[in-house]
Amino acid sequence: MLLHLAGTDLATASGHLGISFALLVGVVGTQPAKSRSDAGSYEALLMPLLDSAYGTALHLTRNPADAEDLVQDAALLASRGFATYEQGSNFKAWFFRILTNAFYSKYRKRKGEGVRMELQDTPELYLYCQTAATGLHAKSENPAALVMDKLDGELIGTAIDALPDDYRVVATLYFIQDFSYQEIAEVLEVPVGTVRSRLHRGRRILQRALWQAAHDRGIVAELTQARGGDA
Amino acid sequence: MSALGPTRLTCEEVFGRLDDFIDHELSVEELRLVEEHLRTCAACASEHRFESRVISDIRSKLSRIAAPPSLREDLLKRLAEERGSLG
Repeated sequence: MLLHLAGTDLATASGHLGISFALLVGVVGTQPAKSRSDAGSYEALLMPLLDSAYGTALHLTRNPADAEDLVQDAALLASRGFATYEQGSNFKAWFFRILTNAFYSKYRKRKGEGVRMELQDTPELYLYCQTAATGLHAKSENPAALVMDKLDGELIGTAIDALPDDYRVVATLYFIQDFSYQEIAEVLEVPVGTVRSRLHRGRRILQRALWQAAHDRGIVAELTQARGGDA
Repeated sequence: MSALGPTRLTCEEVFGRLDDFIDHELSVEELRLVEEHLRTCAACASEHRFESRVISDIRSKLSRIAAPPSLREDLLKRLAEERGSLG
């Protein structure tokens, strides 16, 4: 077990954070990293992750203020459960497990199901098929680059933020944190097969959203009207 | 298919493994079989190139956002306060 987290809750110590820690499974005990050496060790492990934790929290909560709160909540919880962290194991995965549990138990509950999205099955290879159908494969040997070069990070981030919660969490851990399927499974405490299916389906939904955004911004029209070699 | 597993994959079998192949999630043997197929099948190779490019571009374009300096300061302060109150 990578994360080395057992099953006691943190209800007492976490009460003032407003999170139901019956749902925040896995962190043992309520002892903070309070000795000078423990605290130094914890902060030395945590602080290099702060940017990526905030970036992830921002995609999960879709709100800068909530993202800051989520990171602070997770950091305090992790401090209290630090005695259960096995030195030398994957601290990043351990911390992101606490972060995502905090998100699920507090923010998702508060905001309900989040952005509603049509979950009808999106065909496989959606962008590939659409770019072929609009003739872009005849214009370039690299039709993926034709489209992707026109899509900026903000647009892609917005498309990820629009994914339903379960897909967005997996996509964020995959695309932003570069976690493997196994690591995501351990962070979320779900089977690897669940990660695989959410990620694969999330990608298809994401491709459809990117193609729609390309349409809405006139990128598809611009590319299809360009002469071969100009696209 | 032999007792030791398939010696070649069909296009459909490769298609079903494409995401895992791109994500380096296949076993060594499956990896070898997919690579072998992609070397000889232009259609599957084209789909693979396309999907790989899309995924790598999504990953590279998602900006790595810096945490606000105030978050770092507030967090260190809260951690110190908590240690003080519980110590």
